[in-house]
Amino acid sequence: MSSSSSQTKAPNEEPTSSSNKPNADETARFECNICLDAAKDAVVSLCGHLFCWPCLSQWLDTRPNNQVCPVCKSAIDGSKVVPIYGRGGDSADPRSKIPPRPKGTRSEPPPQSFGGFNWGDGLNGPNVHFSFGIGIFPLSFVASFFGNGNANNAENGQNGAGAQQQGGSSRADGTAPGSRMAGEEEYLANIFKYVGIFLLVWLLFV
Amino acid sequence: MSNIALNRLQRECKEVVTNSEISETGIMIEILNENLTEIKGHIRGPPDTPYAGGMFDLDIKIPEQYPFSPPNVKFCTKIWHPNVSSQTGVICLDILKDQWAASLTLRTVLLSIQALMCTPEPKDPQDAVVAKQYMDKPAVFKATAEFWTVKFAKGHLDVNKEYQTRVDKLKDMGVREEEAISVLSCNNWDINRATVYIFS
Repeated sequence: MSSSSSQTKAPNEEPTSSSNKPNADETARFECNICLDAAKDAVVSLCGHLFCWPCLSQWLDTRPNNQVCPVCKSAIDGSKVVPIYGRGGDSADPRSKIPPRPKGTRSEPPPQSFGGFNWGDGLNGPNVHFSFGIGIFPLSFVASFFGNGNANNAENGQNGAGAQQQGGSSRADGTAPGSRMAGEEEYLANIFKYVGIFLLVWLLFV
Repeated sequence: MSNIALNRLQRECKEVVTNSEISETGIMIEILNENLTEIKGHIRGPPDTPYAGGMFDLDIKIPEQYPFSPPNVKFCTKIWHPNVSSQTGVICLDILKDQWAASLTLRTVLLSIQALMCTPEPKDPQDAVVAKQYMDKPAVFKATAEFWTVKFAKGHLDVNKEYQTRVDKLKDMGVREEEAISVLSCNNWDINRATVYIFS
């Protein structure tokens, strides 16, 4: 496929065809690999291939024990495709029989470096970014143990002031309650809690 | 047939018809009925193979679940090839069976079959007799495949005189030409064994 498109594209790459003139090749890049039509409810697999969600879902349904990408045959998972949201779409009614298109996953940006204080960089205007990280080894667990309850309070208190706080232990706000990620976080939080209690007891009695 | 299949087939046919590669690759299709369930494919025999110069016709049947299941493709021109039945024209090709992928099109299928004609896979044969000849007697295989190309695929090469006289001998005994060629080919052109096979 790539060889043929590169062959057919070659004559078009002359200066006459500029970006303001969409040609056939331009639109062909966004065609679903199954129905060969412009992709509706577009999703892209982790191997980078574009499909309509109804088409891909039907393909995966037809061979439940051989879940591979129809283009490159790499293993794919129907729940791990990335939906593509363009502008102005998405008004279509959710089709009754087809399972809903999986949601995009959001993750928080990585926390800033230890002890970094950023006083309003040019982009964010007067906003103050205040972040604190994880401290010395045993104490960090203690901090995270107590942090859970306090972080929420602190956040509530500071929201009014327009300041944004990124605590080392505060939960990522993007995870939806009940999702798998939230469950994992809950589990991790519990582990840290018990380790914290253990270390407190150890510090007090040894 | 679902709407998606019909739309897709129309695009695929257009792709094969309008693609500029056609003159180079030598694949063509012909639409037989309006709802595009039966299509005829043509493949020009690749150069530097025993099939060079021939034009091979294929029957393509589009199933109800297309493109989620593969099209049914078989040769209707007789061909002497380890992965094609010399009797029925059935093709042994993984992408027409379990390795089918919905992104494959009529064009890629025909190109794959053309590639199979260039490089036979005798270890996974459809016709065991042909495959055995391909492995044991490559020279006889080549001559036989060329003879079949001339006889059945309108090849331009000169017909192998020696083989033709043997076919004519069997024809004089009242055997149809097609059967005579087939039986002789299967018996490595040994006319005595072929006669025994036919009349026993």
